[in-house]
Amino acid sequence: MQDQIKQQIERLRSQGATYVDARWYPFEESNHLLMWNGNLKNASSSRESGIGIRVLYMGAWGFSAASDLGGLAGLFDQAFDNARVAAERVTFPVRLAEKEAIQARFESPCRINPFEVPLEDKVAFLKELDMKLDQKGVFQRICSLNFVRKQVVFLDSEGSQIEKLITEVFVGLQVNGLDDHGETFERTFRPGRHGLSRGWESLDQPFFAENAERIVRELNQVLAAEVCPREQRSVILLPGIMYLQTHETIGHALELDRILGYELAYAGGSFVTLDDFGKLRYGSEKLTVHADATLANSPGSFGFDDDGVPAQNNLLIDRGILVGAITGRQMVEEANATARRSIFSGSSGANRATAFYRVPIERMTNINIDPGQDGTLEDIISNTGKGILLDGDRSWSIGSNREQFHFATEIGWLVEDGRLTKPVKNSTYKADTLKFWNSLSAVGDSSTWEVKYVDNCGKGQPNQVMQLGHGVPVCRFDDVRIGE
Amino acid sequence: MQEHIIHTLQDLRHYALGKGYEIELFFHEEDSYLMRFANSAISLNTNEHLIRLDITAYSGRKRAGYSLITNLDKVDEMKSGIEAAAGMVEHAQPLNYQPTIPAFAESFADESGYDPALAGMSSAEKMAYFNQAAKGLETGEIKLSGIFSSGTNTIAQITTRSDHSQVFKTSDAQVSIVLSHVRLKWEVTAEQSAQKKADLDPATLQRELAFLVEHYQNDTSQQIPLGSYAIIFGPAAIADMLKFMNYIAYNGGSMKRGFSFLAEDQAGKKVFSEHFSLIDDPDRLETYPFKRDLTGLVRKPWPIVEKGIFNGFVWYQDDADEFGAKPTGHTVTHKSLVLCGGDREIGSLEELANLPRQQDLLYIPFLHYMNIVNPTKGIITASSRFGALLLKKDGSVVVPYNIRLTQSLLDIFGDKVAWVSKSTLPYNTSDSYGARNPTAILVPRFMQVNGLEISHSNSSY
Repeated sequence: MQDQIKQQIERLRSQGATYVDARWYPFEESNHLLMWNGNLKNASSSRESGIGIRVLYMGAWGFSAASDLGGLAGLFDQAFDNARVAAERVTFPVRLAEKEAIQARFESPCRINPFEVPLEDKVAFLKELDMKLDQKGVFQRICSLNFVRKQVVFLDSEGSQIEKLITEVFVGLQVNGLDDHGETFERTFRPGRHGLSRGWESLDQPFFAENAERIVRELNQVLAAEVCPREQRSVILLPGIMYLQTHETIGHALELDRILGYELAYAGGSFVTLDDFGKLRYGSEKLTVHADATLANSPGSFGFDDDGVPAQNNLLIDRGILVGAITGRQMVEEANATARRSIFSGSSGANRATAFYRVPIERMTNINIDPGQDGTLEDIISNTGKGILLDGDRSWSIGSNREQFHFATEIGWLVEDGRLTKPVKNSTYKADTLKFWNSLSAVGDSSTWEVKYVDNCGKGQPNQVMQLGHGVPVCRFDDVRIGE
Repeated sequence: MQEHIIHTLQDLRHYALGKGYEIELFFHEEDSYLMRFANSAISLNTNEHLIRLDITAYSGRKRAGYSLITNLDKVDEMKSGIEAAAGMVEHAQPLNYQPTIPAFAESFADESGYDPALAGMSSAEKMAYFNQAAKGLETGEIKLSGIFSSGTNTIAQITTRSDHSQVFKTSDAQVSIVLSHVRLKWEVTAEQSAQKKADLDPATLQRELAFLVEHYQNDTSQQIPLGSYAIIFGPAAIADMLKFMNYIAYNGGSMKRGFSFLAEDQAGKKVFSEHFSLIDDPDRLETYPFKRDLTGLVRKPWPIVEKGIFNGFVWYQDDADEFGAKPTGHTVTHKSLVLCGGDREIGSLEELANLPRQQDLLYIPFLHYMNIVNPTKGIITASSRFGALLLKKDGSVVVPYNIRLTQSLLDIFGDKVAWVSKSTLPYNTSDSYGARNPTAILVPRFMQVNGLEISHSNSSY
């Protein structure tokens, strides 16, 4: 098959295409199990294979995809035809940043292939957790397991040939309860990195059992709690909400396609402009952020992106100053030309597609905040006068340019004079993005740093759901509106 | 083609019966096309042809599924899928209720929502549409973005319980045009949903965009103060809020699981404004309807709310099985929601802006990134986007920077509703992360709600 694909790539090049690439998925399999109140509501698997073809012609992209490889030549022609049509309306002709032609292989760390584990074992795992969650105060209990394994072969007209084998495991636990007024509250546990490989072996039963007990305990705290006050306080974000704060107001805001206006018809833009790189004070001096696709064992680490560019670890924010973005080959060229200066030295290797039938776009890798010098969680609490400790994402909504946000969390604990006092329910906080990050007053040390996984990042038209990670410490922000 | 699909499904059914399996087959074929614009250029031109087969196997109270992307000529691959599902179900855990396996009483095929002319539109025609809709409005600083998404969707079903099948075929188009200012970062939009080619009307979009661009270029822009406003919602905002009601209002399963702001004892009572009447109407082709549900139940217009009175919960088959309720014909991939028009004769934004007014009116056409803050109280939050206007009572118009609204849907659709426009239009709410699922909600063009608080106001675009 690879030879046939290469032949088609060469054929289109000989017909005038500037660049051609193909992503052939020999297979992508998934397995989903959902147990709800002890009922195995969903036990399903899927398998798909196919090819997506991207053609650049006269500065414009064409794409086509199909699962049937029988009509391979026709599929390449279709992509080329689509590019020819697109070439009739070009304002900035697409060009691609330089890269090396690479022949390589990447395999994500996995010791026990979850697709070789019997279904009975998976059901038994869920059942045991479900029993742990079946406690006083719990009205709904939800346990889920999602496994994905895919092989991707990337070939392009520049001579790259890359093969990837990626295995993903995502687990979720959730409990819901009703308070005395019949109001629903929830507490969830979605583990991030636990160990250095991500196969069946990562499902460490005692670890999950311990966290199952914790979320039940915390749910009962919320059910009996007072309502979160409506006022201004310092907010201390645990990794269970800090990852989402980072995701929504740093990650998405720094996707270069958004900055350049390529998402304006749907997901939105960014308050960041090309002029801002190198000078915008994004956050306080305590804020340093990397896009690290080399982080061991995370869905945001994938070896090579779908431009065929190797994974990298790049600085995005250096002691509060914006210095980098999440980029692919196309956008860095356009950004540099538009800004009339060389902001980006090349692709940061973050162009990814969610399936063979979707086109690659800029996606987050692992957008990580460096651990700080402000000690442990206990240290940060003890150094906080009037605050609230928050965890768990209940709701999130962000302005179209990522300029402001509103988050609701699953639980909060008030902090008074350096001590945790009482839990509160319906905890929320909101702010303007830049004001918020500039109010960052404490960053926890490495003891507070966790890698959280995101398995459902949506973006793009046609829609794509992507998997990635965030390594984040506990952080404190001052003078934030809560309870609204 | 349809015969080929049914023949293949029947072959697979016979195969399963021969093996003694209980199965349900859900076939989905899409021809999807997307022309995407950004920075006044075509940023992507793509098409996909995909066939998916979802196989659900049953064994007593046990259920398991297997899905594959396949092709009609790969019958052996599909049979392997059946074997996989049948193998899984043996190791699944029994549910604590008996799941229903659909048994279609008769074969049913509906192509009334399919328009070959829309399905067959060429790239050149789509580009011409965009050129006409944006005619004269692009400048060096005002750039065009948007999508022309169109496609054909075919769904076919069969089960081992009967040899009858169901087939649904639709064509659809979703057009979204955005004009944005590169430097100032304002953005306005005009959108259209089409079920047939004749629905496409780029001239109307051009007029709407021209009106908004003129105001955004010439009127004062400002951060508006926090506080209470009379808000006039446009079609996108109304449709998005109704979409969320689908999750947290009248769905029986959500209610039983504690995710609804409506309770069983509210059925038959006035909960919303008398101006609020919501129907699930499968006779409206604009909504890409299912005239039978996926269990074979005949779907008729179903009033969910009539003049503010909540008629009761609707039930998916599986929820009905679990909670002992009677299924209501709502086992569909999307409902055909229609929010009835009222008595206010306002057909366009221009008319609205030119009407004399007694108070300031905040026009919010679009709500961005809506999310549920509190399902039990029906509280949602979202930001304004795309062409909001503050229509001052002195007749002037101000362009407000985006604001945030955090409110209960019970308030928004409750007694604070002042009026609803008579004219309605289909708003396309398709959000196809996986298989194409064209969806539209028929909504009034305008709905005024008094006394809504805004909780955040941007200091710039």
